[in-house]
Amino acid sequence: MNTSVSITINGIAYERSIPIRMLLVDFIRYEAGLTGTHVGCTFEGACGACTVHLDGDAIKSCLVLAVQCDGRWITTVEGLAEGSELHPLQIAFNEHHALQCGYCTSGLLMTGVDLIEKDSELNEEKVRHGITGNLCRCAGYSNIVDAILSVARARTHEEEV
Amino acid sequence: MKELHAGGIGARLPRKEDIPILRGEGRYFADISIAGQLHVMFLRSPHAHARILSIDVSAAEELPGVVAVITGEMIRNEMLPLPQPSVGGGLPGRKPKFWPLAVEKVKFHGEPVAAVVAETPYLAEDALEAIFVEYEPLPYVGDMEAALDPSSPRVHEDWNDNEIFKSNFRATRSADEHAAHIEEAKRRIAEAPFVVRQRFRTHRCGITALEPRGALAVWDATEGITAWMTTQRPHLQRLSLAEVLKLPQAKVRVIAPRDQGGGFGMKGSVYREPLLVAYLARHLRRPVRWLETREENLMAAGQGRDQIHDIELAADANGRLVALRDKIQTDAGDGCLGGTWGYAMPMVGGMRLPNAYILPFCDIQLRVAVTNKASLCPARGFGIFAPRFALERALDMLARKIGVEPAELLRKNFITTFPARLSTGLGYSSGDFVKTFDRLVELVDIPEFRRRQKEALSLGRYIGLGISTGVEVSGVDNLSYLTATGGPSYATVDLRVDSEGHVTVAYGDGPTGQGSQTTIAQVVAEELGIDPQNVTVLSGDTLTTTYSPGTVSGRGASMVLPAVALACRDLKKKIVRVVANDASMVAGDEEFSFADGYITYCGNSNLRRSFAELAHRIVIGAVDLPPGDTGGLEQRAVFEATRGNVCFSAHAAFVEVSPETGRVKITRYVTSDDAGVVINPLIVEGQIQGGVIQGISNFFFEEYVYNDEGQQMTSTLESYKIAKASDVPRIEIYHDAGTPNPTNPLGTRGIGEGCIAPVPGALGNAISDALRPLGIEITDLPVRPGPLFHRMDVALRDDQQA
Amino acid sequence: MYPSPIEGYVAPTTVDEAVAAFARWGEETHYIAGGQSLMQAIKSRMVRPKCLVDLQKIDVIQGIHQEPASIRIGAMTRYCDIADSELLEGPFAALVDGAGHVGDRQVRHRGTIGGSLCWNYISACMPAVNLAIGSQLTLASLSGQTRAIDIEDFLGAPLETSRQEGELLLSVELPQIVGRAGSAYRKWSLMTDGLPVIGVGAFLQLDDVGSCSSARISVTGLESGPIRVLTAERALIGVSHSNTKGIEEALNDSSTSLDTHSDEEADAEYRRVLFRHLGRDVVTRAFMRALGNRE
Repeated sequence: MNTSVSITINGIAYERSIPIRMLLVDFIRYEAGLTGTHVGCTFEGACGACTVHLDGDAIKSCLVLAVQCDGRWITTVEGLAEGSELHPLQIAFNEHHALQCGYCTSGLLMTGVDLIEKDSELNEEKVRHGITGNLCRCAGYSNIVDAILSVARARTHEEEV
Repeated sequence: MKELHAGGIGARLPRKEDIPILRGEGRYFADISIAGQLHVMFLRSPHAHARILSIDVSAAEELPGVVAVITGEMIRNEMLPLPQPSVGGGLPGRKPKFWPLAVEKVKFHGEPVAAVVAETPYLAEDALEAIFVEYEPLPYVGDMEAALDPSSPRVHEDWNDNEIFKSNFRATRSADEHAAHIEEAKRRIAEAPFVVRQRFRTHRCGITALEPRGALAVWDATEGITAWMTTQRPHLQRLSLAEVLKLPQAKVRVIAPRDQGGGFGMKGSVYREPLLVAYLARHLRRPVRWLETREENLMAAGQGRDQIHDIELAADANGRLVALRDKIQTDAGDGCLGGTWGYAMPMVGGMRLPNAYILPFCDIQLRVAVTNKASLCPARGFGIFAPRFALERALDMLARKIGVEPAELLRKNFITTFPARLSTGLGYSSGDFVKTFDRLVELVDIPEFRRRQKEALSLGRYIGLGISTGVEVSGVDNLSYLTATGGPSYATVDLRVDSEGHVTVAYGDGPTGQGSQTTIAQVVAEELGIDPQNVTVLSGDTLTTTYSPGTVSGRGASMVLPAVALACRDLKKKIVRVVANDASMVAGDEEFSFADGYITYCGNSNLRRSFAELAHRIVIGAVDLPPGDTGGLEQRAVFEATRGNVCFSAHAAFVEVSPETGRVKITRYVTSDDAGVVINPLIVEGQIQGGVIQGISNFFFEEYVYNDEGQQMTSTLESYKIAKASDVPRIEIYHDAGTPNPTNPLGTRGIGEGCIAPVPGALGNAISDALRPLGIEITDLPVRPGPLFHRMDVALRDDQQA
Repeated sequence: MYPSPIEGYVAPTTVDEAVAAFARWGEETHYIAGGQSLMQAIKSRMVRPKCLVDLQKIDVIQGIHQEPASIRIGAMTRYCDIADSELLEGPFAALVDGAGHVGDRQVRHRGTIGGSLCWNYISACMPAVNLAIGSQLTLASLSGQTRAIDIEDFLGAPLETSRQEGELLLSVELPQIVGRAGSAYRKWSLMTDGLPVIGVGAFLQLDDVGSCSSARISVTGLESGPIRVLTAERALIGVSHSNTKGIEEALNDSSTSLDTHSDEEADAEYRRVLFRHLGRDVVTRAFMRALGNRE
């Protein structure tokens, strides 16, 4: 019931023999040791704290088996910064006080980056709709929306210049 | 205006704790693993109330990877049950006896019945399916009023009824005095020209934090138990662990991880599961870890607010409140919760019922019932969500009866002299409710809204405005806290400076996202004139900190920060002595300024030494110090509140209700808060933004539902509905009409706990205001579109017929 | 929380390999498409697969294709691709309406139209949308045969379809459109994009003067599974977009016979109210789209 996989996470290939039933989120947290990706629900996949990018798309890593990601590439929150240089959205979250307990934060960063990269015309309504797959219990969302919009607008501005 | 110190008090300093979390380097409970750890999973009762006839664990024990399968019978003689003194003292009510696993019978759907310990959580879950339990179902006690009837089946069989607590809040009045007080309240209500009589019902909901609970324990014959735990109160956990395992406190170390994914009261209690995890670590001599599932969390923890108020509120012809009567009933669930026993919250809520108003005569009676549900648990607001809803709604209805704007009625009845004492005995130290409230009224422009409302109604649109207020007592005196929680309330901090001038502050609470690393650093920066980046905060470890009550009831700003300021001030005295001694001069503290990393003599700015250099001078170069001083630069301080620190919030909600679907849209939501001196506006606004949204989510969406058999129907995040980003508005927050708090050295007030409590009143009042033409009053929560539509539909049909 | 033990996992690249793998593993084998519902069931151990046949590597059943006569959507086409598709306008815009609000962004990146149709959850959107549009499905059997089936004959009660053991849904063919047609879909739930309490789909064909010449109205969220509301369909014939009273009456009259149920989310009567409310909206939008009006 074990199988061999090679999953590339943040540019590093992790080759492991794992049970078929292992969830991707457990592979990320316990096989790759990347604990920035969190778990907040049982089986329903409703909280979004485990959001990562699979081949460039934001997905919930608790609703995918690790074996399904054999040969594919994943980006987790640990892969957003380039060395000591934080991703602009990470900086914006800090500046806009977009996190309190921080448990939802990695998932929201991954969804937020996905939104920013795929929609060049974001507005508040689109951002709110775009992050409905991520529950935040502390912050009340507005600062998160502002952080995402600030980065999106800075991008648009850069492109115009 | 006071000049802002770089990163000091009042600065919108982005939080220090964010960066590791943003990088994915947070250190939450689930991120901690110990080599060789085993994993626990719990088998939970499928019944609300049943006798356990037998448990067969033999098949489960044979499964691969299973190390042990444990039942209540196996542990009842191995560890002591709760209550024990640490969680049993103080509270004046009953405390049911319980072990971590059910013994003889189960009392709610979700109660732990057996535990599997296995090499992986996957294997543990496999083994749960191989445990066979034979139950004899017993009648479900699920309605609080029926439960209080003498004929009800009993939840706890060694009790003669289901009443776990009752109170008449007679404060310090003698029995005779109280009888006269009640008589007077009764007379005033009977004679008053304006009286509202109404039942209000708040539903079972709470604040489930996004990070579930967890415990990881290691046993070591020399050091005893070390347990990492998700908790707001590590020191309380340590005391209770020591008691049930019959260990000296010195053999128990509890560590709340640096980062915790929210608490909101849900992580403030002594629960069954961590006690068992610690026991198992000792029993098996292996590290044992339990990571709660969301299902377990929604079934067993975090349920609050389940309460009925039967209110009578009376005003005289001038619109002054003359008396209040309230019969409160609370559903405490099984009450098996160390620390609050399901009734500390309604008890405190009853004491705080009169809120911000002069109400000299109150007849308040509380009865708390045990039922076959999970124990009621602290949830942000600690007992005041329901009373605020009931009273603020009653005030709104009373204003309508009198024929005045509700805001006018509130304003006329605010407490204006401080210190104040409520008829329930509760004291308020200071505040200016009128000033904070007037700011709100100015922001919302009521006359303009009334014009728009009239216009909208003529177009068949229902818009409304609701206003409410809430006083929160954050950081109370030791005696009150001992009564309510069994422990003292003082805050202790240990501050030490290394030889490079870097300051470390250690304290024993378990923060869960409040930004305390940042606000503590800001206070240190302000007091010592150093960069807040040169401050590190340690918390949560009972081995390295002294006793502390925990991160609860808005104590961070009102208790811990003042202690930090006191420690800094004492430390400065020593630094000044050294500077003066080195310069062979005599000078007082006030003659030196601490700013920009330097200590400067005010009389001569050439006498200026850097903080870092002085730190080295005192920590390492510790010779030729002033007589009586020793080497090293560290200071402990304790802050004790003499009176309750009060904060005050006034909220205004604007809504529109659709007659087509009954859906309520919040079109604007404004708050004016007295948070005292604000250390970091970013954080204060964040607390209010988040707190109000939680209140909105509780009001409209969240509900723990038990069906007629006591089955909990809402154990996933699909069925227990928490507001998403598109479901809620942006809150407009103003804290510019606050007043410094005179009862602590910083002037701070703790805003985090109480900011949720005015929400149900504001929303309930706004919806009732919108639907006044249809004669609809909001009295029961949650407010859901379907039922609201039907009420509107009936009223509109009646209208058409008339 | 964790799936029960799984013995086999196969990720074929062709349809033939997929059905062969299914046949080889036999009982308790499941095809997994996007898995956004199936994984919930597997994690809660309601479903205990012996083997999973993962369809994600089969290229021929992915994507939205303009064929000579009609549009074909591969069963493994994701919600996000449907929501963003430029091919699915006017007559088929209900697909965009539905797919754009299923679950959330992350779910739409994984979940597929085929997975949703085969799972046929009580409050799923895709079955009702396709029922309104009148899609044809193509399935491959274990013996390698393919068959075409009308969506109406495919869908059954919740969690039931006429898919045979091991049969694999390949594609969804949209009907050929002659003249002007428009469709729309909307759902209602307590929370944004939650599982719908009620969802209503409308597909209208217009005659030369812009009146409705044929209508298909579907509803999801019923205990019967997704159904067409024939009384509403009949009543809409001859109605024009400006005849708001006619539209209203068609939905009001048909709602009274709608067999709704009561639960924690909504009572039976409120479900009918929502049907009327959403129905008016989707019919009006379907008209607008058929008439080529911008929204």
